[in-house]
Amino acid sequence: MKFGKRIKEQIQESLPEWRDKFLRYKELKNLISSPAPAESIFVCLLNAEIEKFNAFFVEQEEDFIIHHKELQYRIQRLVEKCGDNDDVMFREEIGEIRKDIVNFHGEMVLLVNYSNINYTGLAKILKKYDKRTGGALRSPFIQKVLRQPFFKTDLVSRLVREWETTMDAMFPALTREVEGYERSAAVSSAAAGEGIFRNTVAALMTMREMRRGSSTYGAYSLPPLNLSDSDLVLRPVHVPSPIPIPY
Amino acid sequence: MEARPVQRSGSRELSTSSIPSTTPNPSSSSSDAFMNNNNTQFMSKPLGQQSYHLFSSSNGGAVGHICSSSSSGFSSNLHYSSMVSHEKHYASGSTSNGPPAAAAALSNDTSWCHDSLHGGGFLDFPENHQPSQIEEDGGIGGAFDDIQKRNDWHEWADHLITDEDPLLSTNWNDLLLETGSNSDSKDQKPLQVPPQPPQIVQQQPSPPVSVELRPVSTTSSNSNNGTGKARMRWTPELHEAFVEAVNSLGGSERATPKGVLKIMKVEGLTIYHVKSHLQKYRTARYRPEPSETGSPEKKLTPLEHITSLDLKGGIGITEALRLQMEVQKQLHEQLEIQRNLQLRIEEQGKYLQMMFEKQNSGLGKGTASTSDSPSKSEQEDKKIADSKELTTPEETGKEKEPESPQPKRPKTDN
Repeated sequence: MKFGKRIKEQIQESLPEWRDKFLRYKELKNLISSPAPAESIFVCLLNAEIEKFNAFFVEQEEDFIIHHKELQYRIQRLVEKCGDNDDVMFREEIGEIRKDIVNFHGEMVLLVNYSNINYTGLAKILKKYDKRTGGALRSPFIQKVLRQPFFKTDLVSRLVREWETTMDAMFPALTREVEGYERSAAVSSAAAGEGIFRNTVAALMTMREMRRGSSTYGAYSLPPLNLSDSDLVLRPVHVPSPIPIPY
Repeated sequence: MEARPVQRSGSRELSTSSIPSTTPNPSSSSSDAFMNNNNTQFMSKPLGQQSYHLFSSSNGGAVGHICSSSSSGFSSNLHYSSMVSHEKHYASGSTSNGPPAAAAALSNDTSWCHDSLHGGGFLDFPENHQPSQIEEDGGIGGAFDDIQKRNDWHEWADHLITDEDPLLSTNWNDLLLETGSNSDSKDQKPLQVPPQPPQIVQQQPSPPVSVELRPVSTTSSNSNNGTGKARMRWTPELHEAFVEAVNSLGGSERATPKGVLKIMKVEGLTIYHVKSHLQKYRTARYRPEPSETGSPEKKLTPLEHITSLDLKGGIGITEALRLQMEVQKQLHEQLEIQRNLQLRIEEQGKYLQMMFEKQNSGLGKGTASTSDSPSKSEQEDKKIADSKELTTPEETGKEKEPESPQPKRPKTDN
């Protein structure tokens, strides 16, 4: 049930046009718990879901590709125009572009997340189905899913990494020791601003929870999430001194 | 992708406040907001407004408390004879005309499903897919209260900062649930490419460089139903070729799909692909800064927040972006790891299944399987443990589940 709750939350946090593109996990679960879940119907529904994922994913990907190029051009034009000037307009524009880059990056990551969570949901629902009916639908079906366009996120991931590199180049070399005040300002700004940010956080939390281990942990379960080693994003956010945030 | 503003604040309220009527009033107007979330095309026909009692309230998984609008028929599209009674229960929030409409739709849906099954095995994708991607424009969510939302966010941020261990605490969870909404009533992308009924799924081979190859790849499972419309998977290289072609024709406004198609000379690329891509391209050029979704939260950020927070010459904003970037990076990293693990799990499963079957057939007796399973599982244990050790440092004693349904062994604790 946890996954059902989590995917629901993610959907709530997701960008509006995405919301009906996710897996109908609860529906499918209900179908399974009905007295006589027919395999043909179940499979039919799953196929429909997969088509939905594919269509949405590929279309988003196309949009991203276009936007990717446009953003590159924009940066190029700006660099040509302003060079190394430090005037106000340049600062503003570069600020705009940075923001757009970060948001673009975020959206792409969310698409990868979309792919993953739908895949995970499918895997789980198939497992439930087999458990309920004693069938062996899961394994061959999941093999099919692995070959689907929506699961092949390589291109988007590649773009994501490219922009991470670009970002490093585009950000000024700030020191890590930013004052608490600025940090809190940063947090509230980030928090207040973006649906993408919230969505990303929700996604991370979902992952963490999903990977915590469960009562049905088995050979096909994912191992626990390992966040402790990686640079905990929110560690810098944890500022002991409760500096009030200006409105 | 349609422009479909949704009133999320409304939906949020519905989900967190314990609504007395989890057996809802069919004509409740608040349902409209939530309904928009649920517009789906789950083997559906485009009736007026359909709703899905999908993401219903969080109180104990109560069944959908939102109902469809007046014109809508059924509440759930799972109309199958075996399920009518179930559906009634399931769609407890539905309108009074739910069940009759469901029954009416029942035969249609099932027949459609059967049709598609005739085309191939279970696992094949339906050849003749109903235009299930046609979405309806939902109703309009009301504008939300900016100011209130901002306060909520600040509250949330406050919590963030004063919390001991924000990432690990559950406050995030609650705050995400409770605090302001992200609903947007503003415009989405103005030009939406009408979603085509997907007929062929063209799968992309692992990144080839040459442009010509990509549109040609086909899947084994689908067959063209004759319209010639196939889903195209674009790549940056292909897009570059597209842009060059467009530029050589005088720009995005002057270029025609036919002309572009001719210049590009890509096998398998149809005029429909080019046409829709050109449309997207034009849109993207004329609205350069927002991303495709154009969610209004971003439109909030520019002036108000910058002026209110930009007290140190923009460092605050930069830090905010950095933070956002960090979170995104982390999510992406984890997603990649997770994906790889999932792939490996399935690979492993396939291998084990093969072994299992080999062993079964080798012994020539069906009953041999049970007596062999203990030793089999030891092998499985070892194999899985080996492979997983490489990627995950933390490994508590895991129980293994072979593919075929067998009694579960004692569970690990969380």
